Amino acid sequence: MLIKLAGATVYDPANNIDGEIRDIYIRDDKIVATPQTGETIHQTYALDGKIVMAGAIDLHTHIGGGKVNIARTMLPEDQRGSARARTELTRSGGGHAAPSTLSAGYRYAEMGYTSCFEPAILPVNARQAHMEMADTPMLDTGGYAMLGNDDLLLQLIAEGAEQQTINDYVGWILKATQCIGIKVVNPGGISAFKFNQRALDVDDLHSHYQISPRDIVRKLSRALNELSVPHPLHVHASNLGVPGNYRSTLATMDAAEGFPIHLTHIQFHSYGTEGDRHFSSAAADIAEAVNSRTNISIDVGQVMFGQTVTVSGDVMAQHANHRHAHPNKWTCMDIECDAGCGVVPFRYRDKNFVNALQWAIGLELFLMVDDPWRIFLTTDHPNGAPFTSYPHLIRLLMERSFRNDLLSQINPDAAAASHLQSLDREYSLYEIAIMTRAAPARILGMTDRGQLGPGAMADITVYHPGGDPEQMFERPMLVFKAGQPIVEEGRISQPVAGKTQVIRPEFDEDIEKRIKPWFDRYQTTAMENFIISDDEMAEGIGSPINIHPCRQSS
Amino acid sequence: MSMPTLKLRAPLNRRIDMSPFIPELIADKSADEIARIPVWLGNRQVDTGELFEISGNPSEVLLIQSESDKLDMIGAAMKQGSILVEGNAGAYLGCAMAGGEIRVTGDTGTAAGCAMRAGDLAVEGNAGDFLGGALTGERQGMRGGRISVQGDSGDRAGDLMRRGTILIGGNTGDYCASRMVAGTIIAIGQCGRHTGTAMRRGTLITSNKPASLPATFNSNGIHSLSFLTLLRQQVATLAGFSGLTEMGVEVERWVGDLSCDGKGEILIWQS
Repeated sequence: MLIKLAGATVYDPANNIDGEIRDIYIRDDKIVATPQTGETIHQTYALDGKIVMAGAIDLHTHIGGGKVNIARTMLPEDQRGSARARTELTRSGGGHAAPSTLSAGYRYAEMGYTSCFEPAILPVNARQAHMEMADTPMLDTGGYAMLGNDDLLLQLIAEGAEQQTINDYVGWILKATQCIGIKVVNPGGISAFKFNQRALDVDDLHSHYQISPRDIVRKLSRALNELSVPHPLHVHASNLGVPGNYRSTLATMDAAEGFPIHLTHIQFHSYGTEGDRHFSSAAADIAEAVNSRTNISIDVGQVMFGQTVTVSGDVMAQHANHRHAHPNKWTCMDIECDAGCGVVPFRYRDKNFVNALQWAIGLELFLMVDDPWRIFLTTDHPNGAPFTSYPHLIRLLMERSFRNDLLSQINPDAAAASHLQSLDREYSLYEIAIMTRAAPARILGMTDRGQLGPGAMADITVYHPGGDPEQMFERPMLVFKAGQPIVEEGRISQPVAGKTQVIRPEFDEDIEKRIKPWFDRYQTTAMENFIISDDEMAEGIGSPINIHPCRQSS
Repeated sequence: MSMPTLKLRAPLNRRIDMSPFIPELIADKSADEIARIPVWLGNRQVDTGELFEISGNPSEVLLIQSESDKLDMIGAAMKQGSILVEGNAGAYLGCAMAGGEIRVTGDTGTAAGCAMRAGDLAVEGNAGDFLGGALTGERQGMRGGRISVQGDSGDRAGDLMRRGTILIGGNTGDYCASRMVAGTIIAIGQCGRHTGTAMRRGTLITSNKPASLPATFNSNGIHSLSFLTLLRQQVATLAGFSGLTEMGVEVERWVGDLSCDGKGEILIWQS
């Protein structure tokens, strides 16, 4: 089957194509070079004047795993309030802030997304998380395993274990949990919370293990680098949401000691203490640090106004924020000594000083970080806002006048405290394509997607130009997944299932001699049952794996 | 009969959602128009006319004739007008209703009057569990209005109730007034076990000592409460509750549940 997409305007930053008119050919599930003359083209789409990009990739969205399910059960009104009726092709679902698996998959595809990554898989919850993601239709998925608050790693670091041992443990976790990266959430802080510490800054010591978040970040970022895992350590830094936390964020950047790290939802970590209310934007300091350190990448975690629910492994931060729960119900819990989980529903209000400034800080970061290859478009779904607000966010980045109109409607003190008014930058379609396609694929080491060159997976989104960017990105004309048209005019036309994207670094299997006794002594699960095999992924869980290559050692 | 009338043609094997048939949505519709309204029958939609014989002229009063217990959500979210059910109603009768009145001549299923905010809901037969309770997962149940049941109610009558009045002429099941936040329940018959469990505030008035009370309730002694004169005058006018005029003002007052706020009271008439 050979398909031709004819005459579209192509934005493909991975191949330096910036709005050129090109033909794209799809053979089966791959993009191919222009075929030889005389070859039969089975189907041609005339796309004159349409805009073509690779399928979008969300590298940080909470779509599976224990905490999302807790949010779903905690908020039945969220399900009731946004029901999605079944159609001939699609099944019913619901939910706005914490959508059901089916709703999430369909809506992502309807917005032109083809791959999504769950950033916080507790190793002990990995099976459940992969099952939920397997139940999320239309998308390829993957996850980052959470380390850095699990007792075994903290114990290893406290004992002064060799870096090689840490590396083997990290490699083993990636394989056992079928993940593509490693995330650390409030390094050591979730564990410290259980020892009654209510704050843990980068150089504070965990009262039991006597190690600091800095030690954990250094060990883990180095481990991933030495294992040649493409995605750098995915860091949810210390002191989330605390005024003045930008200092901890800068200290975390330093803790990597030059190894690559990715700082996630950095908007929540860019707060100063200036002004009458002792809450201010430190976006300029953070942006400057990101611009000057090439080992750092970030995603923003933009806040949007409205009802949502915050789900996080960071029990320390969630416990501190539980008084703001809206509606007034929340939970914080330990999960099998692996880490924790906190779910706090929240409504961001545009007339509230803090919320309005959070909104402005996120946009300041987008506009002040120069390199779109190192900043990613996220709302930390659903923590800053549900992912369905992405088209609105893209319009905020692309249209200065629209941005300033909204700026004039938010809390006036917050508007006055922000530099946003003075930032002229408007993102181009090429830059949007970088931050939503090419860059996430590159930083996750997925050479087969996020681009439209020959050999790439045929994950392609076609947009109608004209109208404002929000309308354009909300409702693509066509979405292809592995060469099949799955969405036509913003409606699902062909339901499909995705695969799980994983990475397999080499490590010494002997590490199991250290891990197994720990499972036998402390865990409720046997090590053999904890491990998820490739066969189980394909047959039991129903999402076969796709192994991406490790970085070539340079 | 001139009011719009929906008469169920045949017994149902699936539950149906009756929430489209509230006075404000159909008051100006002819019988033909009503017949074309789609309703969910299990997981598929059919025209109302396939399930019901429809007659009558547009009006603010709606008559539903059905012996089925599968007609759910009758009068859900209604704000005005009235619905008369000749026969039985299913689950979620008057769910989240905010005004108007509903009268059912037969029995009703589970969660009647749940999340109700205002209006008048009268059941001449028996009610199921969670009478005046909360929508699943919500923290407060009935928040206003009046429910009267001439027969018995199931378990958990007034669960999470926040405001309003519930009158039950017969007996109640277990856990009556459980998790009650505020409001008034008058249960004339016999209340079941664990009455008042986790009751924070609110008042339950009953003629007999419940089958059991939690250990976290304490007797506060016998009192003469003159407000009972006013209360019985007001509710004795309701069909089926005229017997209340016989009741005195002397009650034994039990206070609890001390496992939570402990400001709830159970008043037991001394006759």
